[in-house]
Amino acid sequence: MAVGKRGARPPKAASPGRAAEPARAAPIVVPNTFWRPAEPLAYRPGLEPDVTHLREFGQTDLGRRDDGRWEALQVIPTQADYILDLIRANSLWPLLSGLACCAFEMMSGATSKTDMDRWGMFPFRASPRQADVLIVAGTLTTKMAGPLVRLWEQMPEPKWSVALGDCTVSGGRYKRSYSTVQGIDRVMPVDVYIPGCPPRPEGLIYGMLQLGQLVKDRRGQWAEREIGPTVPDEV
Amino acid sequence: MDRALKSRLEAQLGSVIRGAVRQRGDQTEIRIAPADLPEVLRTVHESIDMRFEVLADLAGVDTGDTMQVVLHLWGERSSDWLRIIVEGLPREKPRCPSVTFLWPGAEWLEREAYDMFGIVFDGNRDLRRIFMPPDYQSFPLRKDFYLPDDASRSPGMGVRPVEKPHAPAVAEPDPAAAIRRSPAS
Amino acid sequence: MPRRADRTRQPGPAEALPAAGPRPSLDDPRVMLDRQAGALFEEIPPYPARTEREAEFYTPTEGELFLNIGPHHPATHGVMRLVVKLSGERVVDVDPVLGYLHRGVEKICENSDYYHVIDQVDPLEYVSSLFQEWAAVLAFEKLMEVEVPQRAEYIRVLSAELLRVQSHTLYMGFLALDLGGLTPILYSFIERDEIVEMLAALTGARMLFNYFRVGGVNGDLNHEFMSRLGDWMSRAGKQAEANAALLNENEIFVRRMRGVGVLDRATALGYGVTGGNLRASGVPFDLRRVHPYSVYPQLDFNVPTRQEGDSLARYLIRVDEIRESIRIIDQCLHQMPDGPIMAPRLPRLLRPKPGRAWGAVEGPRGMLGVYAVSDGTDQPFRFRIHDPSFLNLEVVPHLLPGNLLADTMAIVASLDPVMGGIDK
Repeated sequence: MAVGKRGARPPKAASPGRAAEPARAAPIVVPNTFWRPAEPLAYRPGLEPDVTHLREFGQTDLGRRDDGRWEALQVIPTQADYILDLIRANSLWPLLSGLACCAFEMMSGATSKTDMDRWGMFPFRASPRQADVLIVAGTLTTKMAGPLVRLWEQMPEPKWSVALGDCTVSGGRYKRSYSTVQGIDRVMPVDVYIPGCPPRPEGLIYGMLQLGQLVKDRRGQWAEREIGPTVPDEV
Repeated sequence: MDRALKSRLEAQLGSVIRGAVRQRGDQTEIRIAPADLPEVLRTVHESIDMRFEVLADLAGVDTGDTMQVVLHLWGERSSDWLRIIVEGLPREKPRCPSVTFLWPGAEWLEREAYDMFGIVFDGNRDLRRIFMPPDYQSFPLRKDFYLPDDASRSPGMGVRPVEKPHAPAVAEPDPAAAIRRSPAS
Repeated sequence: MPRRADRTRQPGPAEALPAAGPRPSLDDPRVMLDRQAGALFEEIPPYPARTEREAEFYTPTEGELFLNIGPHHPATHGVMRLVVKLSGERVVDVDPVLGYLHRGVEKICENSDYYHVIDQVDPLEYVSSLFQEWAAVLAFEKLMEVEVPQRAEYIRVLSAELLRVQSHTLYMGFLALDLGGLTPILYSFIERDEIVEMLAALTGARMLFNYFRVGGVNGDLNHEFMSRLGDWMSRAGKQAEANAALLNENEIFVRRMRGVGVLDRATALGYGVTGGNLRASGVPFDLRRVHPYSVYPQLDFNVPTRQEGDSLARYLIRVDEIRESIRIIDQCLHQMPDGPIMAPRLPRLLRPKPGRAWGAVEGPRGMLGVYAVSDGTDQPFRFRIHDPSFLNLEVVPHLLPGNLLADTMAIVASLDPVMGGIDK
């Protein structure tokens, strides 16, 4: 799932035969003020995925301390990065965040018949400080949005989030309700969306495997993510 | 259909029941005014031939014109559910006596009716919001509660013309006129 | 909903920070990040208490402290917040805060037609969704005075009792999980997966079935369902006994549950507790017997009742009920008549005449009731769901005081709350 700037396309010009498109909702880009990386260059968005932070690091002051040696070692940090991502992808520890019905399919996916432990996701950590993935399973209400966002913020980087079930993807069957959040991407960034009401455990496994693929593709770039509706307002 | 229950109710509570005791299927229904609720409940709870000891439900209803509080009771002596409709609560300031003196469990049910409708129960020690956040300003289940995007008029109705098959052809419907009113119920 | 960006922007130079003194660096471990994030959710009072009970609860005396359990906690059955007032290790008082899963189902149902209501009412008690559907269709059938064919009734009882077995098995697993035992939940989920795959073959979905209709059920029994059911029935009894033995013979479990959270008869009736919790306190109130609906009068089963009223009794009642449900399923299979599964001559768009109806069924947690008011249109005028877990949870402030903090989970788990139904 590409982390590009959504809504950056200019609205189509109004022509006589076509009504002007309503303005798309601009995503809320929340700068990461809660934690400053030691090396800001490492987390700049928009870089190509196969540029690792160490190559950029080599162009900074710290990295230029010893000029010649870093060039030969570029291959090794790249491979180390790759291995680190492989390690992360194969050992994603989810946070126990079952809110409603989808939590049961998540638990069903974690227990014997469909076993998420085969991919290393068995330990559902109770503490957000020890978790990698926040699988939001179940309807998010406006009252719960605060605690959920706080959980998300308490998770240390690298972290990913998975929206499980229709209610978290877009509001689902509670689209016209007064007290649900219409999709958790309105309050926190989401990496993988798994639709279904509830999705089968196999669907969850597929989503988690896609997440693993995403981890490997991103190669450590998980900078500022976007929060905000990714579909136009009028839908 | 418990005929004996109907005669007992008319004998003991005939003066406070508004209208007739209606029976349909396995339900008996009486309508009373809010001020009579404690007396009615004590009667049906304690009277020997009508021991309605189980409070099944306490709900608020917004009929568009007034508000109601509907209680459902069950007792061993009768094969029917007893429905007590406390009607005539004004929409601006609905007040009703609390039933927590008989059933402490009604506290949360009344909290829910307050949260959803704004019905104030006199005598409830803990009348605060139970579902919505404590600083929420509206009462969601009232008939004049609309979400800004016209949502509560239809679940599947979208905004695009093709998604509005039955919507009336008015530009800005008048919320007061669009309150659904139940027919004399 | 207010935008997060407004709260998380860096405070400008003119803005007063709530913390006194110079702003500490973010690496300082004493920094309270939620001060920067703003109040994202309600805090424990001291804001002025709104009611008598709040004032009484949120005024701690000497030596008491507040512990906030939830809404995210590995042991709550969903998102529930218990603010516990402790004196040392003993619980003095507890204030449950609900509403973290309030989805506005009743309001949505007022704007849905009668078929959609049956679908909307599923995720309330998501563990046992057929019972909510049953209560809803019972109320609608009373509104429309529809007669349900016998075969449909037997199929309803069959699928509902299967779901009751699944719900009680999951209850045992979650009870053990809350007390720290990680094995029984796996056995419970094996059982649950089997039953739920069976019901998926019958209804098409694993969890939120949307299977009952006004006047019958959606689809008839099919070969896949029957073969899975026969397979499961052949070992259901032994499997249930083995699952129960995991916990019954566990001394730690029994000692943690015996005598803990005793609910006496008068309190239970006063609070409106129903279901297994009420029967564990000595009141044999089971809607299938005291106010029968469907074909339960023709089925032979016992209503297990116990007198102690403690958590162990509540657990053992569920174990007994699994056995009874398997008996009922057996009888249904033997007594199943042929015939249609939907009432004949029902209009495609249901428009009941104006009126009111109340329908109640005995769910795994207690009495599930639906009060439906119709105004003659194709949408219910008022659709009120009465969920048993709501009142079951209300006895928690009555049961917890005096017990240790560790018993909190034993008691709450033994009451079997499902937050979807509580919060609607």
